[in-house]
Amino acid sequence: MSEEEKYIGYVVGGGLKEGLQARLTVPAKDVQEGAFIVVESDEWLFHGLVTDLLLGATDPRFADEQSGTRLPSEVAKLLHGQTLFTNLEILPALMMERGPDPASADYKGWRDAIDAGLRDAPRALPVKTVPPHHSDVRLAVEGDIAEIFGKPGEKGNFVIGETREQGHPVAVNLDRFVQRSSGVFGATGTGKSFLTRLLLAGLIQHDQASVLVLDMHNEYGFDDTASDTGEKVVGLQTKFKSKVRVVGLGAGAQIRGKTPDFNLEIAMSDIQPQDIELLTRELNLKETTPTTLEALASTVGRTEWFKAFMGMKSGARVQNEEGKSVAAPDSVAAWADANGVNVMAAEGLHSKLRRVFRKAEAGGYISAAPAADGVSEIIKALEAGQHVVLSFGNHESDLDYLLVSNLLTRRIRQAWEKRTNDYRSTGKKEPRPLVIAVEEAHKLLNREMAAQTTFSTIARELRKYYVTLLIIDQRPSQIYDEVMSQLGTRISGWLGDDDDIRAVLSGLAGREALRGMLARLQPKEEVLLLGWGVPMPLPVKSRRYDDAFWVQLLGKKGAKGKRSEKDMKDGLGV
Amino acid sequence: MDSKAYEIGRLLRSGIGGFVAGTKVLQQDAPRFGALVKAPLGEDFIYGVIHEINVDDDGLVRQLVTSDSVDASVIEDNRVNRNVPMEMSVLAVGYSQGVAIKHLLPPRAPLSLDVIWQCSDAEIVDFTSTGHFGYLRHLLRNPDLPVGELIAAHVQQADAAHKAEGEADWSQRASQELITLLRDDYQVLMQVLGALGDALPELGLEQ
Repeated sequence: MSEEEKYIGYVVGGGLKEGLQARLTVPAKDVQEGAFIVVESDEWLFHGLVTDLLLGATDPRFADEQSGTRLPSEVAKLLHGQTLFTNLEILPALMMERGPDPASADYKGWRDAIDAGLRDAPRALPVKTVPPHHSDVRLAVEGDIAEIFGKPGEKGNFVIGETREQGHPVAVNLDRFVQRSSGVFGATGTGKSFLTRLLLAGLIQHDQASVLVLDMHNEYGFDDTASDTGEKVVGLQTKFKSKVRVVGLGAGAQIRGKTPDFNLEIAMSDIQPQDIELLTRELNLKETTPTTLEALASTVGRTEWFKAFMGMKSGARVQNEEGKSVAAPDSVAAWADANGVNVMAAEGLHSKLRRVFRKAEAGGYISAAPAADGVSEIIKALEAGQHVVLSFGNHESDLDYLLVSNLLTRRIRQAWEKRTNDYRSTGKKEPRPLVIAVEEAHKLLNREMAAQTTFSTIARELRKYYVTLLIIDQRPSQIYDEVMSQLGTRISGWLGDDDDIRAVLSGLAGREALRGMLARLQPKEEVLLLGWGVPMPLPVKSRRYDDAFWVQLLGKKGAKGKRSEKDMKDGLGV
Repeated sequence: MDSKAYEIGRLLRSGIGGFVAGTKVLQQDAPRFGALVKAPLGEDFIYGVIHEINVDDDGLVRQLVTSDSVDASVIEDNRVNRNVPMEMSVLAVGYSQGVAIKHLLPPRAPLSLDVIWQCSDAEIVDFTSTGHFGYLRHLLRNPDLPVGELIAAHVQQADAAHKAEGEADWSQRASQELITLLRDDYQVLMQVLGALGDALPELGLEQ
């Protein structure tokens, strides 16, 4: 091992429940909360995390009195060295057998038993015991981190950042990452979007799963400008031209002044009653809505109801033969009367759906006869191993996001379920794993919506069907607990709200110890890795999303290419 | 300090924990508080630290102190040929067994009229360098002793012996051990360290 192991203390107490305590033998400034440390026991290495540093004294009076002023300096120094100390609180996470000393006689027998398959090869295990008193404690070196988190150069290991003190690279295993849904959290301005770009770039480059990004704010497809620094931010399509397809919502939509690869229009026939029901809060719909919608679907048809209902006139009346004012034949009231539906409820629903109907007008994205089946195009692209960024363009309202995201995801879910069932029953080609990146996830996965949207089903069950979510959100406490508990990997930037912190840590061991760590992350570029997808919790300094990142990821072709005339003009402020 | 051992008196009474020696020596040659001394134990020696020196009065002194003037020859005669000796109380802190030195209480007490010796620098260095300052616990455990003053006097003399033998950091190591032994007893530790600070000014005070 090239790097020198730096010993920082020795174990003085603790346990599995409350964590270990170690006496620090180096100045407290040399160790920070969140440091990855290794405790060396005889035949075991314990890996853990510093969760606190505590000042202590053998007698409180030694701490109270400034004895340096009344004792000779050397004596005072000696006194402080023995009576005043700093203890580390360590959250032990993993233990790994290291076997007897290679110089000892027992080592050969131990090694031979492993080679002969008589005992398991050393690997990281959850902590089941504690190291003895006075076990040496040291800071982890690069090799320790690579042993636990994976070697950065190996396939599938994506370097997401580096340890805060020593700057050792920390990798996330992308194969494991996509096996379960995951989340990127952090208060606004903590770099969630950059971190998500890093992850998406890693996933696209690794190419073991397709990625669908529901890009509400048009950030990921084409080049963007950072809101805080004003610098250019490279889009995924710029670097993965042949792999990433940018889809614009609505016919003729332009994204960041560029024409997307194709446009998505929603066919009216695709809109189902349940798509409307999940807009209940957004449109302030009444309790009678499901009944009215169901009546529409059953009387007009599940694919025709939306168009038909949109075409009905609200409040239109005519005079009958007897001269009485009655509901016009093409009115909502006439349909309601004819089908035993409460007229007021039907007219109320029609009125509230006007916001949705307007999406079918010029400049909208709902069409009776779309030029192409955009949803199928997206599914085909994803199945073919491409990656799709669905940019919402000018349709950035919550209504647009909820309606389109859910409708698209419902179709995708059906397609992947079918492919998976075919694969299992007839041995057809195994479905390609799919990761759906969802921004502002609490809008789709809050307690109220979670039961209705496809997203919660994906988060809970669709791992089996090769579909997982990548949730990006600043208010994790607003996301339904059941969904949060299913998240495998959680990557969180700084969070200030107690409820949000609690939500991110829900279901994890040692959450009390991790709580403070999350609240004390640097507001930018520091994140805490948590959950099933990472071997142990670890705060890291996240990687920068810059040219160096692309060069490392893509090699020479990732270097900044020749700048376009427009870019140069933008740079000059023209 | 004289680097050779020299005789300082004879034993008056003794026990396992220490002994008392009497001497007629003149004051300027008298052994010092905190000095390391030795008494014979067969072929070996019992080591101890002087923790008390008493000069008791006698009938003649009582008469003389009330005189208007006392002739110098009378004072000299009273000190050299006195009936009541100057008494030195010594706390046993270890013994030798061949070439080995033990920081334990001796197996037997020294006998009356045994000669008591002031240890040489080399003997002080030998005794105080053995083990890990185990002998200090004998000095610390007696609540009736002026522990801070005794330790300071002893460390000061022993440090001088170590420096004479070319070892500069002995007092620092001794201080460290004292802190270890006393860190649960704040009051005594601060007394000892305060006295050490006075006895070893070369350690320097914080500015």
